[in-house]
Amino acid sequence: MDGLGGYVLRRLLFLPITLLIVSFATFYVTRWGPGDPISVYSGQYRDQEAFDRVRHKYGLDKPIVEQYGIWLKDVVLHGDFGVSFRFRDRSIPEIIGPKIWVSARLGLYAFILEFLIGIPVGVYAALKQGTWRDPFLISVFLFFQSIPVLVTVPILVLVFAEKLHWLPNGGFDGLFSKSMIIPTLAISLPGIAGIARLARVTTLETLREDFVRTARSKGLGEYTVVTRHVVRNSVVPVMTTVIGLSLVGLIEGAFFTETILGIPGIGRFTFESVNGRDYNVLLTIVLLITTLFVLANLAVDLVLAVVDPRIRINGGGK
Amino acid sequence: MTIDASASEALAAAEGYALGRSESLWGRAFRRLLRKRIAVGCLVVIAAFYTVGLAAPLIAPYGYSESNLDLSFHGPSVSHPFGTDRNGRDTLSRNIYAARTTVIVTLATVLAGSVVLPLTLGMVAGYRRGLIDAAINRVGEILASLPGLPMLVLINATLRPRVVRAIAHFEDGVHWHGLTSSGFADFFLIFSVLSLFGWVGYARLIRSQTLTLRGSEYVLAAEASGASTKRVLFTHILPNVMPLVIVSVSASLGAVAGSEIALTFLGVGIQPPHASFGALITDGSTAAVLRNHPQLLLVPAVVVASLIFAFNLLGDALNDVFTPRAQ
Amino acid sequence: MSNKLTLTILGVAAVLIIALAGALIYFSRGGSDNKDTSAQSSDTPSSSSTASSSTPGGSGSSASGELRLRGDDPLVLDPAVAQDAGSALYIVEIFSGLVRLDKDLKIQPDVAQSWDVSPDGKTYTFHINKNATYQDGRPVTADDVKYSLERALSPDTGSVTAENFLGDIVGAKDVSRGRAAEISGLKIVDDATIAVTIDDAKPYFLYKLTYPTAYLVDKKQIQSNPKRWTQKPNGTGPYKLKEWKLGEKITLEAYDKNVLGAPKLKTVSYDLAGGSSLVAYEDNTIDITGVGLDDLDRIQDPTDKLNKEYVTSSRQSVDYIGFNTNSAPFDDPNVRKAFAMAVDRKKIAEVILKGAIPVANGLLAPGVPGHTDDDKTYAFDPVEAKRLLSESKYANNMPDITLAESGAGATVGPTEEAIVADWKKNLGIEVKIQQAESGTFFGDIDAGRYQMFHLGWIMDYPDPEDILDILFYSKSKQNNSRYSNDAIDQKLVQARTEQDTEKRLAIYRDVEVTLLKDAVWMPMFFDTTHALIKPYVKNFEFSPVTLERFRDVVVNR
Repeated sequence: MDGLGGYVLRRLLFLPITLLIVSFATFYVTRWGPGDPISVYSGQYRDQEAFDRVRHKYGLDKPIVEQYGIWLKDVVLHGDFGVSFRFRDRSIPEIIGPKIWVSARLGLYAFILEFLIGIPVGVYAALKQGTWRDPFLISVFLFFQSIPVLVTVPILVLVFAEKLHWLPNGGFDGLFSKSMIIPTLAISLPGIAGIARLARVTTLETLREDFVRTARSKGLGEYTVVTRHVVRNSVVPVMTTVIGLSLVGLIEGAFFTETILGIPGIGRFTFESVNGRDYNVLLTIVLLITTLFVLANLAVDLVLAVVDPRIRINGGGK
Repeated sequence: MTIDASASEALAAAEGYALGRSESLWGRAFRRLLRKRIAVGCLVVIAAFYTVGLAAPLIAPYGYSESNLDLSFHGPSVSHPFGTDRNGRDTLSRNIYAARTTVIVTLATVLAGSVVLPLTLGMVAGYRRGLIDAAINRVGEILASLPGLPMLVLINATLRPRVVRAIAHFEDGVHWHGLTSSGFADFFLIFSVLSLFGWVGYARLIRSQTLTLRGSEYVLAAEASGASTKRVLFTHILPNVMPLVIVSVSASLGAVAGSEIALTFLGVGIQPPHASFGALITDGSTAAVLRNHPQLLLVPAVVVASLIFAFNLLGDALNDVFTPRAQ
Repeated sequence: MSNKLTLTILGVAAVLIIALAGALIYFSRGGSDNKDTSAQSSDTPSSSSTASSSTPGGSGSSASGELRLRGDDPLVLDPAVAQDAGSALYIVEIFSGLVRLDKDLKIQPDVAQSWDVSPDGKTYTFHINKNATYQDGRPVTADDVKYSLERALSPDTGSVTAENFLGDIVGAKDVSRGRAAEISGLKIVDDATIAVTIDDAKPYFLYKLTYPTAYLVDKKQIQSNPKRWTQKPNGTGPYKLKEWKLGEKITLEAYDKNVLGAPKLKTVSYDLAGGSSLVAYEDNTIDITGVGLDDLDRIQDPTDKLNKEYVTSSRQSVDYIGFNTNSAPFDDPNVRKAFAMAVDRKKIAEVILKGAIPVANGLLAPGVPGHTDDDKTYAFDPVEAKRLLSESKYANNMPDITLAESGAGATVGPTEEAIVADWKKNLGIEVKIQQAESGTFFGDIDAGRYQMFHLGWIMDYPDPEDILDILFYSKSKQNNSRYSNDAIDQKLVQARTEQDTEKRLAIYRDVEVTLLKDAVWMPMFFDTTHALIKPYVKNFEFSPVTLERFRDVVVNR
């Protein structure tokens, strides 16, 4: 376990360095590009001299590196991520906190749905290997995976909201309302296929393992064999590998789904912040997601190492 | 749809890849691939798409921006098989030109992002090890931990004006016009940014493969007999990592095509009046247009879904070919 | 893989594609058949909501009823800082100033009960209504007015437009540039009287005071909570901000002691989430909605049940293509004229905009003083356009041309694509469209980097000065087209202080005609709001400029 502990420590130590580099790169790229929040939010009045006075007020007239130094000092010493240029009367955590909460819940719904559908489908397909059901299921879900979210959402809206009037056509009125159904479906569709395929492969492998054969030879019923031995042994690795991967998919799915449907989540907000050149908000979001990715990957590696000791963590692979 | 996810799929795919003699491996692989009708079917779909895209100006009955306001939102007819859009432009022709955009973006991105960059960096890192290896790994790790899509949007939004201006400047300097007006800047930016974030996963695969190969007997033998680094890399290692590259390419093509759509939807991709599937899908998915003229969304949606579906299926098939264990 | 499996997969793919296509076509075609059922289903909730809302009715004599709308988050509810149209919608309800515009765009008393103008037209003495109070009940004094104006101008506030609207006051620029803390042109006569001196006898000055920059804010509140007071602002307007959940909802509640009397409408609630507002309107979750172009056909059909709820209202704004008169090839008036003549605006309005928006016949929109009904723009004439182009100095060496437009997300508007297509067809020139998001776009316009641009101008107050002087005076900071014409400049300066309204408007009309003859702009369209209002909502009117609009509304759901 010493090797593992050392590995975790190294990865954790590397996190601040990563964040430092990422923050500087993001800081530089955003501020180097033309256009700034002052000129975006001044409406139709274009008075560059007045802009300069406001820029001065927010320190935007200083060299970028110096601005970065000030920002970094505030973050490290005061935990202050700076002002939002769009919502000037609120602190950044205050602005993005509720949005992250909305997206996280939406992501969780989608995540659960992915597993609830993906794993049974995958296991079922594996058990039916050699019949038409296996390729049928897998290709149906592969096809769903191939449809861009940008197409899925409008079609779902057209059918379920505008024609059938079963569901609201977007918007947001709490996380336990019907308006969550379309986004959850749209976000989870591509992931379901991925999980089903992965679950299918691991189940196939498990089915060949000795203990399954033993269990079968002991005369246990097929149902018992599948639930007790196969699923348990194939689902855990799927869960762990997919959590890391799904995260990316969920975040990107949320980006579009929230934008199209008008859900006040972090995905839509990120896009608005890019257009509004809301530097500090963007930077905070990028750093948050980066941290999340690093930690999720680390967690996946750890769980894998614990579940399957055969995986050598230092083996260069991953 | 995501680059990272497909990279990891390729990773999973390549895990079981066994070493073998390259010649026989290639021959066997190709024969196995051809035996899979599904793969052949996919290849046909993809080939058809690329042919249409490359030959767009020859095939398309109308120009991509040729509009006729008298024909706004006309339904399918003999002269316009899929009808026209709001500006009276032929939907069929717009889709054919969109295919050309996808062809350009996918080819350029895949060449840079899934072949050249990862191959060079992966092989160098795996073979040289030491400091270079560490540096490439760390950079990769940082890039991989960035949120891909938001970063793509951010970079495209902030840098495009600069790139456009730089290219315009370059044009003025060399008196060679048409780069900015042909939309070159947009293509250039999209594929370089996609490549920047796309290479990491594949480079890691190639690196670990190179590491394994480096310790193999025939590489050691070649080194012992005094072969230069270049020679070892090109004649012994490269052929053996190529299958990995092929798997990567097929896995990433669908993702790249999807990303172009996403970027264009967000307004940082291909600029109008150039046709692209992103633009067509965005135009067609407005509630009212969709309600009254569904073919405007349907045509590009079906084409794109089929293309990505074909890439995914082909990826699976290639996977099977190169990793017999997964059968 | 066996033959059977291959066939299965290919079969599945084919079936799915066909099913998707079929379903989509079915659902989109089935629209008309479904109409009856959808109408019925949307009727049901309305009857139930009538029942529920009638119970608490008649609770008080003052304000009652709730109006439900769709909205967007305001960026900041600080009248001095916020300059976006979105924030202004809320600010005009929560805050108010010395004077206001009524529905006919006439200046009316608000916090100031009356005012006197000195004989030289330079000093305005405002008498503050003794009933004017902030929403926490505190009476408004002359000191509050002085503080609000000085705060708006102060560099610490960070307003980019204060100078634009208050800069006419003597000494205002000293404050905005940090040279003075107090505006020398403001004199407190007594608690209820304040005198404002401006630098010249400008008849449009009172209009500028109707703009949010001049609204009253609460000194005590700002000083005790300088960063966050806007989350619960204490204004003098008819509505209090009761609740603001970012991205979710905003609720405004009537302030019964407003100086102009208690509002009739008790509550205005905004749903800030997205989604099609027309569908929400049909589902009876909102009471007013704008109508998009593609839904107009249906709404305008007299047999449609929504047709009776359909209203239109013109907005004072003009959409235009601006030429940079300093940049090749548009420094040649012949090229500008050719471009202006080569676009069939009527056809574009008819086809793309479904005739919903009027083609601009000049620079001054209907309702702006000085507007005339005759067409002052170049008519569509491709033959003459080609001839002019051949006479231009760029006839044989036309540079690449790019049309810039602001916008991010989705694609370029279809009108732009139609305009560009017209130029290609009628002039043989392929113009590229460059879409830039607003930060880049405006920065580049200010720097004069674009050859031509697509933009709109929304009138802030109904006076021709607000467009002609601001956008075409050669030394104006807003002179986007870099136009410079001494004769025009002289006339604009003269009009600023011309006291005779008729003479003044005649000068502006003259300027407008000259500008259009010189094709500095190609005006495209004026704006029209198309909307649906539920029959139980009375007295709601869309205004041609941003004005408070809920005070007199009655909702009897």
